[in-house]
Amino acid sequence: MTPVTQKLYTDDVSLLMVLLDTNPFFWSTSKSTSLSFSNFISHVLAFLNSVLLLNQFNQVVVIATGFNTCDYVYDSSSSPTNQRAETLLRKFEEFVVKDEQLSKEDSVDGIGNSLLSGSLSMALCYIQRVFRSGSLHPQPRILCLHGSPDGPGQYVAVMNAIFSAQRSMVPIDSCVLGVQHSAFLQQASYITGGVYLKPQQLDGLFQYLSTVFGTDLHSRRFLQLPKPVGVDFRASCFCHKNTIDMGYICSVCLSIFCKHHKKCSTCGSVFGQAQTNAPSTSNQKRKTADT
Amino acid sequence: MPQVKIIAKNFMDMVASLPAMKLDKLYDNAFICEAILRSLPPLAKKYVLQMLYIDVPVSAKSMQEWVLADGFSKHNVAIDRLIQLRLFTEAVDRKKETTYRLNPTFQINLQKHIIHGGVLPREPMPSNITVRLPSLEDLDAYAAEQWECFLLHLISSSTQGEKTTNFSSSLMKIFQRGLLSQRDKEPPKLTESGFQFLLMDTNAQLWYIIREYITNSEERGLDSADLISFMLELSFHVTGEAYNMNTLTDSQRNVIKDLADLGLVKLQQGRKESWFIPTKLATNLSISLSDTASRKLGFVVVETNFRVYAYSTSKLHCEILRLFSRVEYQLPNLIVAAITKENLYNAFENGIMAEQIISFLQQNAHPRVAERVPSVPENVTDQIRLWESDMNRVEITPAHFYDEFPTREVFDAACDFAREYGGLLWEDSKTMRLVVKAEILMHMRDFLRREKQ
Repeated sequence: MTPVTQKLYTDDVSLLMVLLDTNPFFWSTSKSTSLSFSNFISHVLAFLNSVLLLNQFNQVVVIATGFNTCDYVYDSSSSPTNQRAETLLRKFEEFVVKDEQLSKEDSVDGIGNSLLSGSLSMALCYIQRVFRSGSLHPQPRILCLHGSPDGPGQYVAVMNAIFSAQRSMVPIDSCVLGVQHSAFLQQASYITGGVYLKPQQLDGLFQYLSTVFGTDLHSRRFLQLPKPVGVDFRASCFCHKNTIDMGYICSVCLSIFCKHHKKCSTCGSVFGQAQTNAPSTSNQKRKTADT
Repeated sequence: MPQVKIIAKNFMDMVASLPAMKLDKLYDNAFICEAILRSLPPLAKKYVLQMLYIDVPVSAKSMQEWVLADGFSKHNVAIDRLIQLRLFTEAVDRKKETTYRLNPTFQINLQKHIIHGGVLPREPMPSNITVRLPSLEDLDAYAAEQWECFLLHLISSSTQGEKTTNFSSSLMKIFQRGLLSQRDKEPPKLTESGFQFLLMDTNAQLWYIIREYITNSEERGLDSADLISFMLELSFHVTGEAYNMNTLTDSQRNVIKDLADLGLVKLQQGRKESWFIPTKLATNLSISLSDTASRKLGFVVVETNFRVYAYSTSKLHCEILRLFSRVEYQLPNLIVAAITKENLYNAFENGIMAEQIISFLQQNAHPRVAERVPSVPENVTDQIRLWESDMNRVEITPAHFYDEFPTREVFDAACDFAREYGGLLWEDSKTMRLVVKAEILMHMRDFLRREKQ
């Protein structure tokens, strides 16, 4: 990982953006897995404390990823050092209440998915602001603590966020708390050079966090960190938001469709007639899935 | 800033050099644990964090598995540092393997910190008692002024009347030792390291003074470990908040008074209570001192015609400029000087190096020129370097001169002999004369004696 600009700071000063999944549907079902939400928060709090302990210039920003909304919950640069936990928890409660109010309108079936794309964008916006504040800034990275399954509807937004993180060389680390692997986060970490990990034992979450995700970007060049085992590269189609193995791609704007269209819905290009029996390889792209 | 020999790198080097007993005692204080952790190299910090909740010794072999192949040198540096600071205790287990475990006191203190979050060493005083607290800008200005005043006092000969600090003259002597040299009846003169000291940035200067202050604390009846822990604790106070003097012990109160003279704290007196307000200098103490985050605004503009314009009212800046340039005018807010060959030669003779002068000019460049690359015109920097190399045009090697060799064979053999030892400086085979380095004189003598027989 190359640093974005020449830094006057010492090598290991970091800005950690933590995205916490607060999806109530996920946490209510996760009682079977050993981690309850309050335990989870206490692990995370200890982790935040330890990151801030490592360097006095380290900065931590927490963004809550709710079911309907997301918001900045804590920013270490604007809060006093004592009563860190109290401030965070208070804001957190306010956020959960707000999220709940918004969600009353529509009923959900299953766990539902939380607004990962929104919180990723917020994190990137924050990082951009830090980049523009001057030449002297800590090295940013994003840590997603995510449990809910991927929302195929957010595919485009999430991918855009990932690519913009890649452009500004911000690694996205992901720690998956749910039962299934997350294809979005696998791709995010793979593309941006972050670490993807699905902890085996969630009651030791702090040790995972401090060992793997506490590593600053400078030290990552010297340490063994978990390597991606297999990344699910499957894309979602733009028309029905389904995850697909095989599909059609617009040759102009690279939009993905699950079946043949006359016109691209994104850029408006008119497609030729599809050869029904044997689609030519030029307008069809195959993506392999290793699951 | 080039590494100057009088800098011990930072506070932690000093802590590391404390005897084991005192070092272990230091870790009882949670703030020291925190400061020490922050001073460690990044990998070492990482290891501490990783081992924080591991209560059994970890073998060196398994720790090596944490690092990639090209990180081994960093790994070893980190481990060495941890052992040096006694954060890791080394042991050999039954299987004859080296194992490490974290210092238990240190471990417990950090665990507490991680669970409870940061706490402040002292509660600041409520604002209804402290009425007229200075603003942060005022405080910075105050700190800078105090520090400058101290520096001026330090370098000016002690004969000058104005007494601005309450440092005892013996303490001042200690600070001046190494920076000033005094021959009989002559006014004291800055030594080589004294000149270098003036060109360092404030943090490095401050560190030098604090180091002297601490190393001489035993003579004044203070325990150096106590002093270090107090200073580190001080650096965790919040800049600009007022803290009650009553919370300090008697000896700490004396120390605070000294620190006020250096500009580390500001003392204020209320109706009943008195309090101290830490300045930025104090809170920067525990930061690794190479850090440039606290850099001040520059004031120097150097033009291509070797003119130096320094927008400064400070006497100290004027004195520093005088070290290597001719001060031509001094206006209320501006010093105009010229960099001349004579002044630079003077500076070089005093042991200042061209790189130090250049980096001083660059580091203190006025914001208007600091954006430009290079901030100091190239022709000026080149010329300064050229003038320096002028001084080194002639290299002096102690040598011995031989002539009147009896035969050409003896001369040739002597030449070969000297060449073999790498000591041949010059030969003239026509007149059979030879110059060799003084180091091989004894060998030459033996050789020629043997040749004679």
